[in-house]
Amino acid sequence: MDISVLVLVFSFVLMLMLSVPIAYSIGIATTLTMLFTIASGPAVTTVAQRMATGIDSFALLAIPFFILSGLLMGRGGIARRLIDFAKVIVGMFPGGLAYVNVLACMFFGAISGSAVAATSAIGGFMIPVMNKEGYDKNFNTAITVTASTTGLLIPPSNVLIVYSLASGGVSIAALFIAGYIPGILVGLGLIGIGAGIAIVRKYPVGDRYSILEGLKKFLDAIPSLLLIIIVIGGIIAGIFTATEASAVAVIYSLLLSVIVYREVKIKELSQILLKTVETTAIVMLLIGTSSAMSWILSYENIPQNISSTLLSLTESKILILLMVNLILLIVGTFMDMTPAILIFTPIFLPVVMNLGITPLHFGIMMVLNLCIGLCTPPVGSVLFVGCGIGKTSITAITKSLLPFYVIMILVLLLITYIPWLSLALPEFFGY
Amino acid sequence: MQKFTKFLDKSLANILIFLMAFMVLVVTWQVITRFILREPSSFTEELSRFLLIWIGLLGASYALRTNAHLGIDLLSQKLEGFNKRVLIVLVNILVILFSFFIMVLGGFRLVQLTFTLNQISASMGIKMGYVYLVLPLSGILMIYYSLLSIVETLLTKAGGRIDRSYDKGLV
Repeated sequence: MDISVLVLVFSFVLMLMLSVPIAYSIGIATTLTMLFTIASGPAVTTVAQRMATGIDSFALLAIPFFILSGLLMGRGGIARRLIDFAKVIVGMFPGGLAYVNVLACMFFGAISGSAVAATSAIGGFMIPVMNKEGYDKNFNTAITVTASTTGLLIPPSNVLIVYSLASGGVSIAALFIAGYIPGILVGLGLIGIGAGIAIVRKYPVGDRYSILEGLKKFLDAIPSLLLIIIVIGGIIAGIFTATEASAVAVIYSLLLSVIVYREVKIKELSQILLKTVETTAIVMLLIGTSSAMSWILSYENIPQNISSTLLSLTESKILILLMVNLILLIVGTFMDMTPAILIFTPIFLPVVMNLGITPLHFGIMMVLNLCIGLCTPPVGSVLFVGCGIGKTSITAITKSLLPFYVIMILVLLLITYIPWLSLALPEFFGY
Repeated sequence: MQKFTKFLDKSLANILIFLMAFMVLVVTWQVITRFILREPSSFTEELSRFLLIWIGLLGASYALRTNAHLGIDLLSQKLEGFNKRVLIVLVNILVILFSFFIMVLGGFRLVQLTFTLNQISASMGIKMGYVYLVLPLSGILMIYYSLLSIVETLLTKAGGRIDRSYDKGLV
């Protein structure tokens, strides 16, 4: 390893520890590293240019549009309708509210595209209701937090679009379809653990609905669920590109939430647009500076070096995948998912591709892995929001989270070592 | 000073809201022309990409103002009082250095270069220098907001502006 790599890693880690925003840390570390190889004038121009050209992609436009439609759909009324629908499907079992919570989080997570939004919208409604029914507060919060992350795998999903970019162009449509089985597996795993705990603790049986009531709740939920069907159906059928689908999602959710449900007032639209800009900008600045970093990484042959170092340690596919997963799990406990994807995809993707892992499979594995980090201390945005909503503390909730971590790691191992789980659906639809 | 900052905040927010709404319209128009009029419009793809660059980079200065950029805050949460204020000033200085050298200086060089080479966009034929102009513009705003944050930290005893709320970001 030569000096420039040390400068890159050292300055980056130092700035992260000093709480410098990640996007700036990446940019500064990249610039310092670049000064070793090219003159300062061209270096600053190159970084600036990469920042702009890194964002210059029609595929990336899907991100602000899915954020916007998520914000428009992410209102209480739609959350309540999805919860009612979930009650009809899984509410009648012992511990029924726990499954309702998971299922509603999966629906809402997919529609809003945000685990944090799912935690606050579904958790904000379900946790108090479950508390009242005698469920343990920490159990309720733990299951909400972990279930919310399934929405990042179940499409449409913005983090998968970020991965598509970071990986150098894995099809967004293929990633979207590939996310279904793993996302649903995590949901089923969480329901399984929830069921075990609910039966041991004798949590109450939920309400049973008559067919007529059930049908009514289903009809109520249809307009919200239709968004997924239009977007994903349109993409699979090859009618839309992901970006076009995201624009259709915006129009659909605008009509639904402003005109049909009247959840959003016209006056609120400008604030929603501004919130969209804020989130978009956070992501775009990260994409911009990490695009400069991936330039210097490949200029210095760093991914190849890491790949040959790892492969010289062991040639076992099983061990290397385990190592990559362990590193990502540790990274995930500290770092948010978007920067983690942008930084580690260019580093690890060449390594695993040498072992015959497809970029599509690796993307799903990586996102699922980093989902776990969103629910772990010391830094876990979904966990923090969940603790606020559930009125509990990270220390108090940790014990309740353990069984859910175990099941998520179990699913992660399945996804890692059985590529079929990620690749079967995309293959079936011809990707 | 306060009046100017308020005016700046408001104008920046309004410009960003306008750009975002405009981008929604442009892409919607593209979908309409492709599916309903069956004559895909040629300039909308390029225009929407350029709008995204402006929204992303200009919005980044707004996100700096609202303290929304993702970071790892373990240290800043541990520190209190004087040490915390030193850290906030240090972080802001690093942001200023990046904004100045890369976004303002590098961005300005890039704008100059593309104007000199007369680079124009493929579809609409506009000068690429105008697209890249957002770099130095946003850099100047970032410097202003970081200086403001330093002044606020030094003047007030609290100075907790580095702490972020956790509902920001994509997840």
